[in-house]
Order: sequence, then structure tokens, then C-alpha cells
Amino acid sequence: MPRPGILRSAPRSATLAVLAGTAVIGLALTGCTSAAPTGDTATAVEGGTLTYASGDAEPTCLDPHVGGNYPQALVSGQFLESLVSLDSDGTVIPWLADSWTVSDDGLTWEFTLKDGVTFTDGTALDAAAVQANIAHLQDPATGSSTGYLALAKVTGTEAVSDSVVRLTLAQPDSALLESLSQPWLAIESPTALERSQDENCAAPVGTGPFIVDSWVKQNAITLVRNDDYTSPPADAAHDGPAYLDSIVWRFIPDSASRYAALQAGEVDVIDNAQPDTITQAEASDTIVHLDAPRPGASNRIELNSGKAPFNDAAVREAFIRSANVDDAVASLFQGSAARSYSALSSVEPLGISRPDLFDYDPDAAAALLDEAGWSEKDSDGYRVKDGVRLTVVFPVSTNQSIPAEQSLFEQIQATAKETGFDVQLTKLDLSSWYTALGSNAYDAVSAPYTKVGPDVLRILFDSAGITPAPSGYFANHAQLSDPELDSLLAQASATNDADTRADLYADAQDIVLEGFYILPLYDQQNHFLLSSAVEGARAMPTVSTPAFYDAWLTS
Amino acid sequence: MADQLTRARLGGLGRRLAGAVFVLWAVATVTFFAVRMIPGDPAEAILGGPGSQTSPEALAAVRAEYGLDQPLLLQYLHQLGRLATGDLGQSYALNMDVGPLVVSQLGGTLVLALLSLTVAWLIALLLATWSTGRGRLARQIGSGLEIVAAALPHFWLATTLIVVFSIWWGVLPPISTADARGLVLPVVTLAIPLAGFLGQVMRESLTAALESPFVLSARARGESERGVLWRHALRHAALPAIGLSGWAFGSLISGAVVVETIFARPGLGRTLLNAVTVRDVPVVIGVVMIVALVYILMTVLTDLASRLADPRPTTSGTGAGA
Repeated sequence: MPRPGILRSAPRSATLAVLAGTAVIGLALTGCTSAAPTGDTATAVEGGTLTYASGDAEPTCLDPHVGGNYPQALVSGQFLESLVSLDSDGTVIPWLADSWTVSDDGLTWEFTLKDGVTFTDGTALDAAAVQANIAHLQDPATGSSTGYLALAKVTGTEAVSDSVVRLTLAQPDSALLESLSQPWLAIESPTALERSQDENCAAPVGTGPFIVDSWVKQNAITLVRNDDYTSPPADAAHDGPAYLDSIVWRFIPDSASRYAALQAGEVDVIDNAQPDTITQAEASDTIVHLDAPRPGASNRIELNSGKAPFNDAAVREAFIRSANVDDAVASLFQGSAARSYSALSSVEPLGISRPDLFDYDPDAAAALLDEAGWSEKDSDGYRVKDGVRLTVVFPVSTNQSIPAEQSLFEQIQATAKETGFDVQLTKLDLSSWYTALGSNAYDAVSAPYTKVGPDVLRILFDSAGITPAPSGYFANHAQLSDPELDSLLAQASATNDADTRADLYADAQDIVLEGFYILPLYDQQNHFLLSSAVEGARAMPTVSTPAFYDAWLTS
Repeated sequence: MADQLTRARLGGLGRRLAGAVFVLWAVATVTFFAVRMIPGDPAEAILGGPGSQTSPEALAAVRAEYGLDQPLLLQYLHQLGRLATGDLGQSYALNMDVGPLVVSQLGGTLVLALLSLTVAWLIALLLATWSTGRGRLARQIGSGLEIVAAALPHFWLATTLIVVFSIWWGVLPPISTADARGLVLPVVTLAIPLAGFLGQVMRESLTAALESPFVLSARARGESERGVLWRHALRHAALPAIGLSGWAFGSLISGAVVVETIFARPGLGRTLLNAVTVRDVPVVIGVVMIVALVYILMTVLTDLASRLADPRPTTSGTGAGA
């Protein structure tokens, strides 16, 4: 399944056509002499400052090794680079590593690094630098979570030569390359990593096209061009330094202000665009829409199968059949989100889609409930069994669910009520919401999860993910415990064969979908709006963060 | 006599100081327990915020390092001990000391609040003086405008101003800028509701003052109406409004939470909001303490200002009598 075009904008936002067209012109002008990616250098304008306005929380640390969340990935992608990347088909391509080999038993990986790359503090990129980064990620003192989990199977590193680094694994890991492509496992200067964590958080040092110049907290991060830049990923549109002089990275939490700032020309790019502003933007000649769904899991409602009432598969199916999702998505998202019938994001090549399982069918739902013993109704119209009302406690995170999604849940609440479900929505801030999950005080929940590759299924549905960590954090919110599924996921993680891996993940997804553990909604929404003066910007095919290496300003 | 006066004044000052310390202690205590009572784990904040998929080992290490595994009362006493020595501690989430953080954010909010207070005073004065002594209709218009202004919520006003001035006319930026242009909309947003409050109070006391005997005698001396208004009545009328300004300043700081978020301005309000969201207890306490301190200072200042503006003869040692 090919990845959908990253630029899924209205026809009038001719960016895709412009990109394609200028690429052709570029090829013609250079006479196809170079095998390197040929961009639209013929028309690119050097210089200028791009102002980016993020609606995500301001990171507390710019080093994505520390913690490791999406706001960090958004900005660190401008100054840090990874060993490998993905192209738009989801194929792993070279970045800081030129090539790699894996032993037959899948336990030894060797990466050959690109020649002549230096970090922006002058330190050379060599095997020892990669070793230092892996050590940094695995050191508990770093406080890494995303990167730490991704390297769980890596037990040792070794410098085979200056330019070849070897990783030794405890078990084969078919997701290793996908994990290494993520911005949370970017390679930083080992010299810089030796500084205190506070210093490194303020200005991490990488090999990227931009350098952190200053960070005024609660205001802006200023990034300046790296004039000695030599290491674009294999699918970049040009070579050498970036076109922009600098990027000012701002934080505008209010969605309406963010869009107003874009309209007023105060900023050039905004993220977290909401359905209403996307609709407005599509009608505008000066704003371009960039739709870049995040990889990993789809946005879905997870049904807690660990306790009543959803420990009964028939009740789970009844809930799913009673929820009119399609109409609500169409009206609330105004065409900006396509309905998903998959556990995985539509950008995941190994995702399978099962529209047949998720029809809105209140009659079937009622029949299922009757059969499952929930045949009586109380005076309020809710179903009862043994004196207990059919209640679905559904905590909603106001940080993670955008207003349109919160409205969607209210509409699901209303349609499920017709069948007799008492859906109790509670809106909570992020910390309270995690606490509700940690204390198992939920029957349904919607939690996003971003990760490159289908290995996210293991995190979300392996029975090991039911045990809450002391923090109360756990990822298997559906509390799905199925030895067959665990075994499929373990085999998929261990196999080296691409076809076997695809089959195993398909079987695993069938178990999840046919068991009605989740109600898929749509991809994790990730919409950028750009001033039409910005050319050449794209979203990285890895975790869909914006990349401005090839970008320039036309005016 | 002079010696007695000084002692009385010093006594008054001592009581003031003791009162201020008590307020600060109460503020710190209430804030500490309030933030810790709401669900949520500060250890998560330290490790990059909730949802960053923290490993149990890292969490345990952080809890031990920050003493979060100790009983809450012990943590409170610890926090109090540090505050007593002037140490606001380290932010859980922002990898920096709270003192410098709060100081760096204080300027933006103070400028915003002081400008808003000034603008609100100007609007209120203009409205009050225009509408007083001009007949019933003017009074009703003035009063109506004030009631509407006072009732306007900040978020609505901010959004409306952005739509009109940034999007339709394109004359003012909707977010903070390096120059002063970015200050206009946030200041107006905060000033309009406050001007409504101040105006109501001012016009009421102005009307009362204009009917009082000293105004009559001034008129009898042949002073012009304008002279009566500006030289005599306004000083009286300003008194309650000055008294209100201390309170107004506090309300401006709370308004700053909304305004700084909408207009993407750096400042204490936004810092506080972010800190509460991630349960960054030291920052919450730091911000609230600074706001309380500024509030106490403003109360003292408005007190002084009232005495300066008060045209009645001063009895010495009012401080002692207070």
C-alpha cells in the first residue's frame, strides 16, 4: 500500500504540481548529469527568515533523547539527523549511514557512516559518536523513554572502524531500522553530550541544516543556517546548505490566533490546523494546506476488555455498531479527515483495513445486547443487567483530543444512547487523564500513539503492556490479553523476511479488529498550513514532522 | 512627640510586614496543597511531561532525586524551608531555576498590566467626566457603556479584536512582536472590562462630589464648571477608583493568563498555565508568590496614592491608626 501523497491539498494549492514541474525543469537544466537528488535549484531563492508557529506545547528540552515526545521531534528535526530515513513509499533510505548489513541470525547490524560529516561544533561523525549516542539513550540518567524503548533489544556497540559501527542485539528486531529513523534517536555530537543536561537541553548539537542559535523560553527558538551542511537524506531535493538564513520557531497555543497570525503574514507556517481553519484555508489563494497524517496507530477508541461491561465481546461489538461515526466525522471534520477502519495509520504499508466490521447498525447492536443479557431498560432508556446500568466511563484528554474530536465523542455518546449505552464523558487535563487510565477508571479511551512501523502493534496490544508502570503509564489500553496475538507479534518482531513479517502483522491486526477491541476513527491528524510564499517545504515520511531544508521564500 | 510618632509609624510598618509574610506563607501553603491534591504525577513532568512513555526505572530515580517518594507533609516542610531562605527551587519541567525563570517572565506581564491599568484609567476618566453633569441621557449612555464593557469576557474581546484589527483591517499583529505594535490588542483587551468597572465607581463618586457643599462653595466663589470638575470634584471622585486599582492589578494578572495565551505573549500568566498543566509545583508556587508580592506592593502603593489624592487635612500618624 503506497503512502498517500504528503501534499493532499486542494487542487488550487498547486504545490505538488509546482514541485513536480520544477523538478522536471531542474532535470532539464542540469542535463541529468547528477545522480544526486535533483531539486528545483533553478528557481530557489537564497536567504530570508521563515517564521514557524507551533500549537504544540513548548518542549521542556530540545534534546529528543530526553523524554522523547512529538513537540521535541517537530523542532529537533531542523537541527538533528538520524542514521536512516524513509522515502515516500516507506522504504528505508540512507541518511547519516550510507549503507548497512545484518547478519543471518538478525543479531548483528553494521552501519557504514557517510564520509566527511561533522557536527556543528566541529566534532567528526564517526563510529564512536554513534556509540556515544546509543549509550546516552540507554543511560537511565538521560531520562529517555521513546528512544530507550526503541533500543530495548540492543545490548552492545562496537567501532569496527572509524566509519563502521556494529550493534549487537539480544533478539532479532525487524523494527530496528524504522526505530532508528525516528527523530528521537537522532545522532548528536558526543562532545556536546558531555555537557550538563541543562546545557544540552538548551542547545543540542547535531549535523542538521540548521543550528540552535538561541531559545527564549515561552517566546521563540531561533535557528540559523549551517553553512557547512553536507548530509541531506537520500530523498532531499538539493545538496549543500539550506536556502533559508534562519527559522524563528514560535509557540502560539490558541488555534484561532495561530491562523490569524498566518493570515496577517506574521508567520509563514502553522501546525495543528483545525478543521474549521483548514476549510477556510482551502478557500484561500495565499495559504497552502499540507496534510501529513502521523505514522503508527490510527486514532481509535480503545475498549477496556479487562473489566465489565467490555470484557464481553458481544457488548464491545454492540457498542461499535451503535456508534454513528461516519456522519459525525463528515460533519465535524468537514472533509479534512478520512474515516479509518484500521488499527494502523494509512501511511503504514503493512496496515490492513476492515470496513466490513464497523458498519453503523443499531438493530444489530440491540440484538447483540439482548442476547448478552442486557435486555431490560431502565426509566432513562439505558440498558440494565442484574440491576447494573450499562455504563461506559470515557475520560477524554482535552490536550490530546482536539475540539472536533471532543464533539465527535459527544455524538457517539448520543447515538450509543439510542441503543441503551450510558456513555459518561469526562473532560480532563493531561495529568488527570493519565491518572484515570493508571487507576483503571475507564471503559473507553482514545489515546494517540506515534511510531514508525507496525511494531506499534506490539506496544499497544501485547499483554505485557497491560501492567501499569509505577507511573501508571501503560499502552495496552484495550487490556487485550491473547497468547496467540502475543506470539504473532513476537514472531513478527523477530523475523527477517519481509513477506512473513507482513503476513504475521496482518494476522495480528485481524485478531484486534475482529475482536472489536478498538473502534478506528481516522488517521492521527497532522495538518500544516503554509503561506504560498513558502516553496519546497515537506513533511518527513518518518514521523511527518516538517522539513525546511529544501524550503525557500518567494517574496 | 516626634519620637512617639516615629515609633507609631514603625509599629505600623512592622504590622504591615508581618501581614505580608503571613499572606505569602498562606499563599505558598494553599498553592502547594492545591497543586498536589489534583491528580497527576510531578515525576512525569520532570521526565518530559505526561505521555512521554517513561520507563519505570527513570521514574523511580526521579522520585528519589526530588524527594517525591517522601510523605506529602515532609515535602511541604521542605518546600517551605527553601522558600524561607529565598530559594524558589528548580522547575520540574523547564530544566532551570524558578527564580530566574519567574523574573524573566515578570517584565512582560508587568508592562502589560501597568499599561492596561493606565489605559483603563484614561478610558474611565474620559467616560465619567463626559457623561457627568450632562443630563440624564448622557449619564445613561455612559452607565450603559460601562456595564457592557465590564461584562465583556477577555477571550471574546481578544478574538473579536483579532478578527477586526488583524484579519479584516490588517493594521495590528495578532501575536506579540519585537516592537510595541503587538502590545496594542492585548492591552486594549485587558483595559476595556477594567475601564467599565473603574468608570462605574468613578462616575458615582463624581456625581456625589458635584452635589457636595464644597463644590457649591467653589461655584459660589465663581469657579468655572470645568475648574470645579477638574480641580475639586475629580480628586474626590478618584479616591475609590484608586483604592480599587490594587484589586484591579490582581485581576489584570489573572486576565493575563487568558490574554498571554491568545496573543502568544511571554509572561507569568502563560508560565502559570503551562506549569499547572504539567504539575510543575515549584514554578506554580514561584509564580503565585511573585504575584502575591506584587499585589501586596500595589496595595501599599494605592494606599499611599489615596493619601496623596485625599484633599482632606491629614491627621498625623494615620499609619498607626490604620
